[in-house]
Amino acid sequence: MKQRAAMLATAFTLFSSVSADARDPFSDESRSLPPIVEQSDDAVAFVVPAGLYYVTDTYVGNVVATSGATTTYSTTTVRESTGTYARVIDAVDTGSSSAFDGASFNGRGALTDGRALAGTYYENFVLTTNGYVPVSIVFFQDDSESRRRASAPSPSPAPSAPVATSVPGGGALASRGAVTPAPSFKPTTPTTPIVPVAPKLRAGVALAPHGATLDSAEVLRGRLVHFWPRAFANDVAVPIRSWRLVSVQPDRISANSGNNEPLAAQWIQMPASGVRWSLRFEIFTELAPRERLEAEISITVRSPALID
Amino acid sequence: MMRDEGGTAAVTTLVMLPLLLIVLVGVLELGALRAVAYRATAAADLATIVAVGDQDQAELVRTGMLRLAPDAADTAREYFARNLSASTPVLAASAETIAASADVATFPTAPSFDPRTGARYDRPTVRLIAAVPVRTPGFAALLLPGVTTLTIRSASSPR
Repeated sequence: MKQRAAMLATAFTLFSSVSADARDPFSDESRSLPPIVEQSDDAVAFVVPAGLYYVTDTYVGNVVATSGATTTYSTTTVRESTGTYARVIDAVDTGSSSAFDGASFNGRGALTDGRALAGTYYENFVLTTNGYVPVSIVFFQDDSESRRRASAPSPSPAPSAPVATSVPGGGALASRGAVTPAPSFKPTTPTTPIVPVAPKLRAGVALAPHGATLDSAEVLRGRLVHFWPRAFANDVAVPIRSWRLVSVQPDRISANSGNNEPLAAQWIQMPASGVRWSLRFEIFTELAPRERLEAEISITVRSPALID
Repeated sequence: MMRDEGGTAAVTTLVMLPLLLIVLVGVLELGALRAVAYRATAAADLATIVAVGDQDQAELVRTGMLRLAPDAADTAREYFARNLSASTPVLAASAETIAASADVATFPTAPSFDPRTGARYDRPTVRLIAAVPVRTPGFAALLLPGVTTLTIRSASSPR
């Protein structure tokens, strides 16, 4: 009787058992995450003309200088940033024509034989909220010529030192005694676009290439987050030349510095209670490569957790 | 004298054995039920945690704040079904059916109050309440209900 009871109990125990299969909670980790959709909600973003740079030397006038038998045609500039931008649109040789002949406000001069001067055409831009607006074209002459002094009836005078006279009005005067006639173009008053106030530069950090700059951001622990240093001139986005991380670093970062690529950061450890981390960037722009900008974003690291 | 004691023992065994079996079956079934309850709760916990990790990227880019993705509830339901599928042999309904009938609520902004539980959430929260029917053949053998419904609850938020 006892044996039967024991056998019956054992059999019941065996047949009523339940499997204890465990589920691997990490089996789905290899599944690729959906790509992050980059937001393009920057209303002020626009196309920057190719080759554009920030003007640091401003046109003053044309110069014709004679030294002996050589006459040099050049352009004087002044070291000044007027808040404008420029790009090269054409470079011409002596005598060659250009599609921009007649379009520049200071004209294009000519040699004594009538050939047009060599030089470079620049297009000037001003930065507005609507983008870079072309305002004028200026020609920077860069040429020279030599003339035989066959007509001198008497012993030639001692060669004088080069004399260059620059007219602020943009015209040029030949030096006394030079055989070069005045340039064929009319001297004009320089109307180089001048913005009285230099563009106000500021920098910030966004979470997307064209995203809004943020003062703070919440990130999930272990999540890879991209930070985009951005710069603005008069609230218009300008290209970044380089950036460098100058603050305390996260647990994992893609690089300490970069150019156009963002900083990819990841926090593994949680901060102490009440502590907020921050990322501070040093930023240089294409428009003002020597001007150092700083941008900072405060980081709060959070981790998904159960609520009791 | 000996014959009397042997008979008493036999009678005692005969009387006590069914009682012992009932107790044994009850203990075993309760233990199995408790194990299933733990696994179902873990499935719900993991599901809500995954749903909290599913953040609204566009909102994060725009404001820098963590916000639940619009499909956080669906994510929680989906992962609850996935996690619960490991317990299918002991469930009285399919994991998908149980997950579909679960009460999953998201609270994208904080603070917020859960009208069902009365809880206050200080962070964006995903809450899941599900009724999980479990087969209990041991109870059925004892003339008790053959299916026992477990009610589990889980809530997660980024903290």
